[in-house]
Amino acid sequence: MAMNAPEHNELREQAELYVLGALPPGERQAFEAHLASCPECAAHVKSLSPVTEALAHVAPQHDPPPALRARVLRSVSGSPVKSAPVPPPIRTSSSAMLPWLAAAASLILAAALGVYSASLRSRIGALELRLQEATERAAAGEVQLADLRRVSTDAQSQLAILVAPDLQRIDLQGQPQAPQASARAFWSRSRGLVFTASNLPAVPPGKTYQLWVLTKQPAPISAGLFKPDPQGRVSARFETPADLPQPIGMAVTIEPDGGVPSPTGDKYLVGL
Amino acid sequence: MWFLWAVIERSGSLRGWAEDRAADQAALARMARGEGDAVAELYDRHARPIYSLAIRILGDATEAEDVVQEVFAQAWRQASRYSASRGAVAAWLLTLARSRAIDRLRARRARPGGLSDDRMATQLPDSGPPADSQVLSSEHVARVRAALDELPLLQRAAIELAYFEGLTHAEIADRLEQPLGTVKTRIRLAMLKLRDVLAGTV
Repeated sequence: MAMNAPEHNELREQAELYVLGALPPGERQAFEAHLASCPECAAHVKSLSPVTEALAHVAPQHDPPPALRARVLRSVSGSPVKSAPVPPPIRTSSSAMLPWLAAAASLILAAALGVYSASLRSRIGALELRLQEATERAAAGEVQLADLRRVSTDAQSQLAILVAPDLQRIDLQGQPQAPQASARAFWSRSRGLVFTASNLPAVPPGKTYQLWVLTKQPAPISAGLFKPDPQGRVSARFETPADLPQPIGMAVTIEPDGGVPSPTGDKYLVGL
Repeated sequence: MWFLWAVIERSGSLRGWAEDRAADQAALARMARGEGDAVAELYDRHARPIYSLAIRILGDATEAEDVVQEVFAQAWRQASRYSASRGAVAAWLLTLARSRAIDRLRARRARPGGLSDDRMATQLPDSGPPADSQVLSSEHVARVRAALDELPLLQRAAIELAYFEGLTHAEIADRLEQPLGTVKTRIRLAMLKLRDVLAGTV
């Protein structure tokens, strides 16, 4: 196998980035050149291609507007597309026979239609039954889907914040009350605030943690309340008002249940 | 179980793809001979996933419609050059759709500030999927969708920024405020996980 080992070791780790289109042009060309001479990397890339094919399909599905079809077809063929092909005309051997043939044909047609309509009736019965089953199944599925959507909405909106173009990050450090604690906040004006923390002490009964946004205004602005899980972890998303002044820091205090308009309790986390 | 059902129902447009594959190749061959009706056939089978991918990338229905039109126009022009050995027509159409949509996204990003030439050069190549690309069943897609949901948030964010926004590894690192090496590792782990899920080994 004629491959350059150091080059191979360096480039093999780029296969995933290459397949995903995440290599900048120079690195992409270098990788493609290597690919041409390295069966191992070529096989690896091939094994990854179903992933990108599947990614193309994971987007939520929407029906294109009906008018788009005609627009697309007009644009490619330059003229309206033919509708269903016209069947060739039936030729008759003799015009004198025509009335008799017509009468015979209508008798045959009537008999055939009788049989046909009986079989249609039974098919319709069977189809109605299947439709009813499918409707019931779809209704049950919709209930489940609605539940799952509720669960996934929060994760989705956290993700939306993390990929926001105007993302700002603030790291918070534990204060003397909670030296082990640490937290990180991601904030986007357009999409809101994601807050994650770890090693927070449990809150005493009747108390809650409150997250504050520090701005150039003298008074901190409350972002919301949260309680950590038994391991002291939190991952929460908060809405922030669109006109929130630019945050310059964040802080977490412990406050009475229900929260307070301005901080009164000890600071547990501060980030500037 | 119901979740799987719901997902499979949602990706219903994929059902019957295996049977449609030969029909797609035939339609493309007819397009190569200039038969406009064949475009209608491909459109009816694939416009929905193409339009949906473009909406996901661009977040804009009007632009997504333009992308659909461009994809079919390009397929019409290039039908004669498309060789059946290159893989599934559906995957090719979706590759075109992603390229066109991401070109637009990049142009949109460039508009406010102006753009350097080397950024422009990242324009995606339109190479089709590899020769023996598999036809994906709706079950495969459901598996990937479920596996994406299970990925750690930053792994998933990195994958989505690369695939749906066309960002390079360095741009993703910037956006997520993560070291470049960390981002590369996250992407590798996520891609390998998704591959294994698809292959049914997980």
